[in-house]
Amino acid sequence: MGEATGWLLDVYADDEGGIVLWLLTDNDQRLRLRMDFDVTFYAAGEFSLLRQAWIFLKDKDVKLERKTHRDLFLGQRDVLSVSTSNPANIQKLFGELQRNFPSLDYYDADIPVSLRFIAQTNAHLLGRCRVKLDGEWVQTIEPLDSPWDIDPIPIPLRILTLTPDCNPAVRKPKSLRVQYEQNNYELKLASSRLFLIGLKADLKRIDPDLILTDYGDTWLFPQLKLWSEETGIELNPNRDQDKDVLTRKADSYFAYGQVTYRGAQTHLFGRWHIDRRNVMSFGEYGLEGAMEQARVTGLGIQEMARKSPGAGITAMQMYTALRNGIMIPFQKQQVEGTKTLAGLIRADHGGLIYQPIIGLHGNVAQIDFSSMYPAIMVKHNISPETVGKENAPEGLIPKTLRPLLEKRLMLKNILSDLHPRDCRVEILKARAAALKWLLVVCFGYLGYKNARFGKIESHEAVTAMSRELMLQAKEVAEDMGFTVLHMYVDCLFVQQEGFHTPADFTPLMSAIEEKTGIPIALEGVFKWVAFLSSKRDARVPVPNQYFGAFQDGTLKYRGIELRRRDTTIWVRKIQLATLKILARAGTPEEFANRVPDVLALAENAKRELRAGHVPIHELIVRQKLSRTLDGYKSPSPAARAALQLQAKGRQIALGQSMEFLFAHNASGIHAWELDEALDPGRLDVKRYFRLLDRAIQTVIDPCKSCRVPERLF
Amino acid sequence: MGRTVITITQQLNETESMLSPFRRTLRRSDQYVFDGLFASARMHIAAIGQAESLLPFETALLAMLLEQSKEIAVLHQELERLKAKNG
Repeated sequence: MGEATGWLLDVYADDEGGIVLWLLTDNDQRLRLRMDFDVTFYAAGEFSLLRQAWIFLKDKDVKLERKTHRDLFLGQRDVLSVSTSNPANIQKLFGELQRNFPSLDYYDADIPVSLRFIAQTNAHLLGRCRVKLDGEWVQTIEPLDSPWDIDPIPIPLRILTLTPDCNPAVRKPKSLRVQYEQNNYELKLASSRLFLIGLKADLKRIDPDLILTDYGDTWLFPQLKLWSEETGIELNPNRDQDKDVLTRKADSYFAYGQVTYRGAQTHLFGRWHIDRRNVMSFGEYGLEGAMEQARVTGLGIQEMARKSPGAGITAMQMYTALRNGIMIPFQKQQVEGTKTLAGLIRADHGGLIYQPIIGLHGNVAQIDFSSMYPAIMVKHNISPETVGKENAPEGLIPKTLRPLLEKRLMLKNILSDLHPRDCRVEILKARAAALKWLLVVCFGYLGYKNARFGKIESHEAVTAMSRELMLQAKEVAEDMGFTVLHMYVDCLFVQQEGFHTPADFTPLMSAIEEKTGIPIALEGVFKWVAFLSSKRDARVPVPNQYFGAFQDGTLKYRGIELRRRDTTIWVRKIQLATLKILARAGTPEEFANRVPDVLALAENAKRELRAGHVPIHELIVRQKLSRTLDGYKSPSPAARAALQLQAKGRQIALGQSMEFLFAHNASGIHAWELDEALDPGRLDVKRYFRLLDRAIQTVIDPCKSCRVPERLF
Repeated sequence: MGRTVITITQQLNETESMLSPFRRTLRRSDQYVFDGLFASARMHIAAIGQAESLLPFETALLAMLLEQSKEIAVLHQELERLKAKNG
């Protein structure tokens, strides 16, 4: 019997039964291993129906048993347990049963096989393990680390990067840049035959674990298939040559208040493919962050990189349920309980959002509750099945979140002890950010209508508790003589005359932490911070628009043009430059002295634009198409851009980002993706001036009210 | 998202728009003062929300009064200061 140790790269169902594991071994081999693996799902409901289901299934290749198993909300239930040794077949089997018996309740029917594997073996994706082998068959598997380890041994991946020379949606690429370790060269696309031969040789020679592409999902892999069919040259980009690549169709969906477009996807077997242009939050935390999420969620990295963190947190909840013998409902079953109108008004609130005191303020500390909502869920045991119950055992959600919360806190603590230039900082930051996103969405999923383990009352319990804690924090601060300038869901901006160093605020933070029981951290002390007023009425404050300079000169800005995705790079660059000028002001009083420099910079920028010295791509405006083209009464600029492209035969989907320039022509805009470039003379310079003026006005407005808040009593 | 009860901001917006014929009939100078009343209510949206009232506009009126009282207190303070300065 053989043995191997290494990192677990991939797990998926084997078409011939059982599962396939890919192990990256300590001696740099990539082993394709097989393992017997039974999967089970359950059906519950009327006994007469279950009896019929039994008869329906008995001649199929499954093992049937009558069992009792735990439903999170209903307790123990009598169920029909259906097991198969062929995980690849479970969807088909379940689909047939569900079509014939739609009124039964189903459990554990759609759990990714990687999650089942992890729950059963405790070995996790990207983690280290030792396998005992009989030929290619895994006999036993022993985990050698945990996804909660703070400093896992990095997995030595071979990464191949493939990038076309332009955006294929705009122009036809002429070459593909290939990068691997120190090698960097181009493969010409003029002859698809020669290109395929070249790429095939590279894949064989390099044998990458990860193919990192730009436009791989939407262009390269579909194109490879097409060229392969045209030329007859077979090219299977999988490491597992027995499998075809898995493709998923493009879709548009509504989430977090906006329509999002997700391009088609290409998933590989035995190696990974990530398209950097078709990922969710990859831009924020990169490969390290995506790997961290894959490690802790148990979803494959190809899934995790493309899906929202919500899918990750759902997977983690499923894992907790599997480990604790709780069945996972196929469909959500919990509905909102009945309430009186007064009860509903009392319960249906979000976080506490104050209206800040408009204007510039000096020596302001921003203090944040660390991961406030998850911390509340864990500390107060808020979970759909525990809400409203006293002394309930730890619920499913707190059980899922606790290790996540602890790991992020530990990473943050390590980070705070490291020098900012330490080579580990970037990686640790990416990992902490990746975990943060999982924690952030967990709260939303408590109230999400499709979440398996969601119940709106638990969602409301969290916000109610958060509002109470914020008010407690405000009272503590005011008792200690601070002015609370602003409060926003989980952070407070406080000020007191004579208080300006971080240490001055330590007693306050300790007092708040003691009162609330939730850790609180100092984000920093602002030399000055500006809270902005509404553009419509200067007397009305806006809660989520502010900017300020910390004592070390670092800027922080929220809600202003610089943060908006639809702002052009040109305006963003200039607004940032003006903020940097203002950051040199040490006090609110000095702020006004810097305004002439800001205005001079803006005038200079306008001259540059008029003279044609601004690169045209910096003027692209990017806006999402928020409805179908026939849904507009008067088309938005994005819709007009879409109409221009549609006239040229381009397919446009809802939620897609449209890029365009403001121009002097019939529709007032010029779609960036049109083949013909815009004549620079037709650029609507005045429109860009207006955009810039607005951004400049935002940053200089606060100096009109360089005042400290009145202290009356 | 996902809220059944509309937010206080939305409720104030609705009340304001309901009162738009009233506002329209006011003189331009009074319209500015009228807008100021709503602006002062909007400074206390968090507190109005916390009051959990079935009729939040009642609480909004209280917020308007609060801002007025504050303004009077500030003016009072200023008056006292000027009196003291000028003997």
